[in-house]
Amino acid sequence: MQKEELEREVAGLHAASFGWALSCCRRDRTEAEEVLQDVYVKILEGKARFDGRSSLKTWLFAVIRRTAAARGRRRMLHDLLLAKWARQQEPPVIDPPEHSDVAAILLDALQKLAMRQRQVLELVFYHDLTIEQASAALNMSIGSARVHYQRGKKQLLARLDGRIDR
Amino acid sequence: MNDERLRDAFAELRRMETERVPPLRWPAPRRRALPRFAVAGIVLLLGTLTAVPLLRHRTPPTQSITTWRAPTDFLLETPGRELLKGTAP
Repeated sequence: MQKEELEREVAGLHAASFGWALSCCRRDRTEAEEVLQDVYVKILEGKARFDGRSSLKTWLFAVIRRTAAARGRRRMLHDLLLAKWARQQEPPVIDPPEHSDVAAILLDALQKLAMRQRQVLELVFYHDLTIEQASAALNMSIGSARVHYQRGKKQLLARLDGRIDR
Repeated sequence: MNDERLRDAFAELRRMETERVPPLRWPAPRRRALPRFAVAGIVLLLGTLTAVPLLRHRTPPTQSITTWRAPTDFLLETPGRELLKGTAP
């Protein structure tokens, strides 16, 4: 894929990428923006190359996940060195005015799931990927992705039962 | 609660989060930094240049074998040794 074409395709996925970056950064918008900028730098400099083995969206989401994880590890190490560990352990506060009741309840339930379960469910329900594509984006086997999907959905439905009425 | 309602809830979350997406800004290309192996080479060279003179100062000056004396030589100086040096009268 030519560079210009790749940039155009990536630009078309910007909104979805931001949504996934939010998920990888525990809904921290500033961090999600930083992660996306890092990802775009990697693409521009050729450090992240699309080889066509999966769909562009799957590849891009995998790059975003890896970049967010690397930034998270660096920040954790930085915080450790500066002895800010205890203060940084508080979970990020989700700003209530940004979300409706339904979205806030869903987010609250999602945060209580295991990370892998949450990621698979978000890729399938939020980003409309198949379980196979989700497994590729998360670099796990399709069997593991199916198990995370089933267990996560069961727990999520149980947590949401009676809280979201339509 | 079923799959359809779950999809609706996720759709609402997606709508709320993606309606305020920051605009796409392609970052300006960065000046290419030195390759890592070049940086490692420079550090190694500087380290060597610093370490060599320091190690040289630590090495004791070597003595010629003709002037060197063992530190335990005094043990050979036994009493009456001078009698053994000459011939008997």
